[in-house]
Amino acid sequence: MASFEVESALSALDVGIIVLDAQSTIVEWNDWVARTTGISRQSALGRNLIAVFPSLENTRFPAVISDALLFGSSSILTHTLNRLLPLTGDDARDLLHNVVVRPISSGQSAFCLLQITDVTVSVTRERVLRDRQNARYHAIVDSARDTIITTGTDRKIQWVNAAAEQAFGYAPVELLGQDIDLLIDHGQAAGESHLGELVGGNSSTIQVAGRRKNGEVAHFAVSLGRWKAGDHAFITSIWRDVTEQMAAVSALRESENRHRALLEALPQLVWTCGADGNCDYLNPQWEHYTGVPAKQHLGWAWLDIIHTDDREALEAAWWRSLASGNVFDADARLCRSNRTHRWFKFRSIPVHSADEKIVRWFGTATDITDHIEARDTLRRSNDDLESLVVERTREREVVLQQLHEAQKMESIGQLTGGVAHDFNNLLAVVLGSLSLLKKNLPDDPRTSRLIEGAIQGAERGATLTKRLLAFARRQELKLEAIDLNALFPDLLEFLRQSVGPNIAISLDISDDVHPVNIDANQFELALMNLAVNARDAMPKGGVLTIKVRDEVIGGGHDKPKDLPQGQYVRIDVADTGTGMSEATLAKAMEPFFTTKGVGKGTGLGLSMVQGLAAQSGGGLTISSTPGKGTTISLWFPCARREDIQTAPEKPAQIKVEDRSRGSRILLVDDDPLVSMNTAYMLMDLGHSVLEAPSGPNALRVLETDAQFDVIITDYAMPGMTGLDLAEKIKQLRPKIPIIIATGYAELPPGATLEFPRLSKPYSQQELCEALERASRSLR
Amino acid sequence: MPADISELSDIERDALSEIANIGVSRAAASLRQMVGEQVLLSVPSVKIVSRREAAELVGGSAPRLVAVRQTFEGPFSGRAMLIFPEAHSLELVRSIVGPEHSLEDVIDLEQEALAETGNIILNACLATIANLLRKTMRMSLPSVVRGDGAMMFEAPAEDADLVLFLYIDFTVKHRDIRGFIALLMDLPSFMALREILGDFIADVEKQSNSG
Repeated sequence: MASFEVESALSALDVGIIVLDAQSTIVEWNDWVARTTGISRQSALGRNLIAVFPSLENTRFPAVISDALLFGSSSILTHTLNRLLPLTGDDARDLLHNVVVRPISSGQSAFCLLQITDVTVSVTRERVLRDRQNARYHAIVDSARDTIITTGTDRKIQWVNAAAEQAFGYAPVELLGQDIDLLIDHGQAAGESHLGELVGGNSSTIQVAGRRKNGEVAHFAVSLGRWKAGDHAFITSIWRDVTEQMAAVSALRESENRHRALLEALPQLVWTCGADGNCDYLNPQWEHYTGVPAKQHLGWAWLDIIHTDDREALEAAWWRSLASGNVFDADARLCRSNRTHRWFKFRSIPVHSADEKIVRWFGTATDITDHIEARDTLRRSNDDLESLVVERTREREVVLQQLHEAQKMESIGQLTGGVAHDFNNLLAVVLGSLSLLKKNLPDDPRTSRLIEGAIQGAERGATLTKRLLAFARRQELKLEAIDLNALFPDLLEFLRQSVGPNIAISLDISDDVHPVNIDANQFELALMNLAVNARDAMPKGGVLTIKVRDEVIGGGHDKPKDLPQGQYVRIDVADTGTGMSEATLAKAMEPFFTTKGVGKGTGLGLSMVQGLAAQSGGGLTISSTPGKGTTISLWFPCARREDIQTAPEKPAQIKVEDRSRGSRILLVDDDPLVSMNTAYMLMDLGHSVLEAPSGPNALRVLETDAQFDVIITDYAMPGMTGLDLAEKIKQLRPKIPIIIATGYAELPPGATLEFPRLSKPYSQQELCEALERASRSLR
Repeated sequence: MPADISELSDIERDALSEIANIGVSRAAASLRQMVGEQVLLSVPSVKIVSRREAAELVGGSAPRLVAVRQTFEGPFSGRAMLIFPEAHSLELVRSIVGPEHSLEDVIDLEQEALAETGNIILNACLATIANLLRKTMRMSLPSVVRGDGAMMFEAPAEDADLVLFLYIDFTVKHRDIRGFIALLMDLPSFMALREILGDFIADVEKQSNSG
């Protein structure tokens, strides 16, 4: 077996071996150690280790070596925790190594082994990795937009990145060595505490008000990190400028708040929709109005509370707007949860983005119920007003026309009445004088014929004045209950003679027809007039039908205007003649209107009939169809059947030579002509006459002892009327009969019953009869 | 000497506590030299327990533990351990290696740093005992083990049944980290330790009496 030296093995070892004796003297130093320390084995052996490496004096080496030697302890010393031996590798770089220290014993002596292991390769690899990491770190830090500042605990700025200049306006060289306070706005109350936190260096993020070089205050979100390097502590802070962000955020918040406040303050219902029309907001007024939580109406659900009648139109309009981007405008009723609804004007406008796209719809609904109601009311009242005006105007025209008509008739009546009255008196004088003249003249045929002609003319004049008075409703009517069934047979015969043989007359009268209150003579005259008119309307002959029926006038009948309700007898006189045009019909009842040729009629016939009907408390209507004929309808008030008087016995022919002859008569008349004529007629009858020109004069006569058998007084006298006089005379001489002569129907009702009347103009015969009746009534 | 081997007399407990504190003070000095900052170590109490009890004291099977372990041979032999909850391990390392290291560095360095730190503390304690008792021992290099309490106190030998159990408080850079130092010994070793301890006490008394 070849001899082997341990030392050669030691030399070949790839770890360092140093062996120390109990005095720390180097007794072994292998090649690895010699190579890495640059100290040869020869120069190392025998020397104290600390003497070889003075730098080990203040390390753990002396203690661990001593412990190993004294107590046998083994120690490990790593490069991370210890400063170790100054070793150099092949590449002349420091050699990183760990050292194990162990006790070894050889014989009785204690030794200490130092085993040195090279860890450079693995550590270097780690360092390369770490450096690469650091390079990355710097790349990030230098290009960061945020300001990064590292300060010492003394607040002095040690390092800043490039972004600091942009944020604060200071060049990095200006900041180095400056106090960090330079960058903090101390005007802010929070500044100090921020500073405290900066210096305290708790790792956190804080809000800091910073100050730029130009004095501007800026806001930063600052992240802090405290770290140590060797004996020094540092604080690295990252400053993010949030000034604009804060301003934008606060502006946005303010703007949002303002808009929201506005939306919520508006009295209208407000909603917003997305571009697709999907509703995403409803203001509190919506909820308040509908009574349903607004979220239930989001999306499209709000359409469900549009009134059914309005929904289709509104929805169509909404879709049109969504498609076209035009303003949406629609009126619709919106239903509440309590089933009531009101009118709203819906209006929505699109909100456009920068690229002209519609991004939202902003809409309101305004309650326009009051407007709509007011509009309707206004329209209605306008219509009402208009129709009212039209109606009133028409009524007014009618009334005016009626007034005009009435005034015209009144004037004509007054005129006619006045003329007829005076004319009547004159006729009375003429008639009276002629009849007296006729008596007293010798019987000469030629003279007699002339006088007869004069008398006939005067009598026709009297008839005419009677008609005039009838039309003027001032004729003297002797109203009494008349049984028409008794009246008609004689009347019919009379009418047949008047209309001639070409006209057939048919009478249709019910047997139980009521009696009427009329003046029989005037009634006969009226029917005569109508028959003559009918005859003239049927020149080629025809049928005249007279129909008499009871009729109760109620509402809604075909009846004359202003005829009060009640029981009437209606008499229709119908012909089959030519009829009348409307224009003719309208004027038919005007006095003096006639369709007959000049000199053929007076035009007073129909108006006289109407005057009679009206004065009798009845009425008249005309209906006519051209070519078919005309029907005149007359209404007269019914009378009670028991009021019918038995036909008055015809007064016997007055025998003037009888009882009344030789009476003493007081004649009162203001018209001397009439008075004289009457006096002549009385004297001719054999009476003695005293004339008085007025009522007072007559009374004075009566105060004397003069005796009178009869007093005849005119009614219409100035001062005291004939009736006043009669009343007074009645008190003075109650036994004297009084006759009131009048051409008017103006005597107050009742007066006729008390005093006998004489209708002017009167003939001697009539005068005689009146005297006879008066003296008879007294007996 | 008390009848129960596991019962230390007050004076023995005081003496051991005193010795341990001297040991950790030495360790603190070494650490301070290494870290460059004040490191405070103290042993507030000492007791002798069974291995099972020791396992319970470190939390049973609940926490993950990390231990630096060294064996020692001499007048008394056994196994010395510095035990921490694993959760505190990185903190201990960071406090030793300094904050300039990233988390990755600390993790990389953990094994080495723990081993060296534990080595310093355990060496100091054992060396102090050896020194004070004027005996020489042989101590192995440290190894780092991880596991629960039961595993930590698995017996190296059938009769290694007792544990000298010391609480230890570290204060490094304002951080307080609590751990345990445990010396597992067989009965003869323990008897030897007590005998030696008795001599030490007698010496101390003799010195104080003469002094």
